[in-house]
Amino acid sequence: MDRLSRISAEQRADLVAYLDGELPEDRTREIETVLASSPVAQNDVELLSRTYDLLDQLPRPAAPNEFTEKTLATARLEGIRPDLSQSPTVRLARRGAVLFGWTLGLVMLAGLSYLAANRWVPRESDLLLQDLPVIERLDEYAEVDNFTFLERLSGQPQLLREMRTGGGREGQ
Amino acid sequence: MVTTETTSPYLRDPEVQLMLRVRDNDDDAFAKLVRNYQDRLVSIFANMLGERDQAEDLAQEVFLRIYRARHGYEPNARFSTWVFRIAHNLASNSRRSKGRRKEVAFRGSDSDSQAARPAEQLVPEKSALMPARQLDRSELQERVREAILTLNDRQRMAILLHKFEEMSYVDIGEALDMSPQAVKSLLSRARENLRAALETYVK
Repeated sequence: MDRLSRISAEQRADLVAYLDGELPEDRTREIETVLASSPVAQNDVELLSRTYDLLDQLPRPAAPNEFTEKTLATARLEGIRPDLSQSPTVRLARRGAVLFGWTLGLVMLAGLSYLAANRWVPRESDLLLQDLPVIERLDEYAEVDNFTFLERLSGQPQLLREMRTGGGREGQ
Repeated sequence: MVTTETTSPYLRDPEVQLMLRVRDNDDDAFAKLVRNYQDRLVSIFANMLGERDQAEDLAQEVFLRIYRARHGYEPNARFSTWVFRIAHNLASNSRRSKGRRKEVAFRGSDSDSQAARPAEQLVPEKSALMPARQLDRSELQERVREAILTLNDRQRMAILLHKFEEMSYVDIGEALDMSPQAVKSLLSRARENLRAALETYVK
């Protein structure tokens, strides 16, 4: 390797893991080979290592003396408070709410089903009502015989008038 | 039915055993866990947030959460992993709720009850940069603290868990809910960022 050549991005990413002893054997050997021949890589590792050592300068404050007792007291205080979610009343109420929810759901489903059936499924009486105007004049329609006759009749207004007036005389 | 408790590989963890006793309302076991972790958590939070008082509050909140969850506890991980996962979530939530404050509100660790100084007194002056050996200890501490506060939450927590707790990449991954490979990348970026921020002091 060229003494001044830069190491690859992948190798650079491995340098920290190498320092931490977290690389598998084959990668460790590869990095060591690179380090043996590259002053640039050696310098990088040296800087990374010394930077990491600087973290020893970070403060490590201790908890105050009374921390344990205060924490225990607070925890116990929380423990003394009744856990409402486990009380029989709340559990009963929760079960009641679930039951009520299911009941309400079923009632709503039944109502929707009824409305849907009422709206879209035709009944026999609906059909009769729909056909009522025809049924009421069924006898007259039967006398008409066919549409050809009706068409011819509609083209004879004079005859229609005579039929109406004649019909009137017959009734006298 | 086979429960995790009879098959859990974590039962050999003495702290898991303590937590199982806490589950059975053993307050002495809880006190032992608090004593085991209180200083460690305060240190982590202090360096995560840059505030001593808030660090103590959050450390206590970690323990209270553990205590509240005791009856449903199952040994699904090492106890330390669980503790630091809670700590990470609390720290992240705390920082989100406060916004990204850059000032540092605590000084050193010589006293347990040292009052926080006003932020304007704590922001280091932009003096000429000097090698580490020429800076006094408190000034160097200030620079390092500043540098670590430039990292994002995950990078900072990963660095602190690795440095302070000597946790492996696998354990850090479990605490931060990441794969070991992702932790490797995270720590690599974090260390590169720190190197850039502190390069002047290590040459």
